[in-house]
Amino acid sequence: MMLAIDILLYAAVVVALLSAWLMLRMRDEYQMMHFMSPPASVSAILITAAIFLQQGLKSESFKALFITLVLLMMNTVVTHATARAFRIREQRDVWQPAAGEEVPVLPTDEVLMRRAAEPAR
Amino acid sequence: MTAWMIGSTALLIALIPCGWIALTASTEKRLVGLEMTGILCTLELMLLTIAFNRTPFMDLAVALGLLSFGAGMVFAHFLAQNL
Repeated sequence: MMLAIDILLYAAVVVALLSAWLMLRMRDEYQMMHFMSPPASVSAILITAAIFLQQGLKSESFKALFITLVLLMMNTVVTHATARAFRIREQRDVWQPAAGEEVPVLPTDEVLMRRAAEPAR
Repeated sequence: MTAWMIGSTALLIALIPCGWIALTASTEKRLVGLEMTGILCTLELMLLTIAFNRTPFMDLAVALGLLSFGAGMVFAHFLAQNL
């Protein structure tokens, strides 16, 4: 049992450490945001599993489960809101969103390749 | 020294890149670093609660998890408003 707890715990810490280090290596803020997800999902789930194994069905275990659910759900919302804010900030000279208006997304690789393949007019 | 103590100490190292980003990077990157710090500190408080066997302190982790969500949303909102 102790071995399982140790493995879960160290795996969670390694995932968090790798995510933090790789976030530092990314080129822009959009790429960096991807690395908020592993600690909020994988690490939190592993730590909660370790707490359940260590403590059993006690109140702190269920609080840890609640924290994991909070991190899982709210991280997605925060990431989306942050990316939207960055996009609005990038476009502020040419575009301001009206109420309820969607933020124009960046062209995908497929769109860029199609544009490049089109004959020049 | 228990595995919980070792894990919580090792997790503190993950805060160094976030601190570096917060000190040196652009405004957008600093916000991402702040949000990452909120997640890591929540995990750190969970580990420390079990490491020191002070189970009521798990409430601190709950509070931080909820408040870091609000902080991220507020900063994102003001960043979009040309802060």
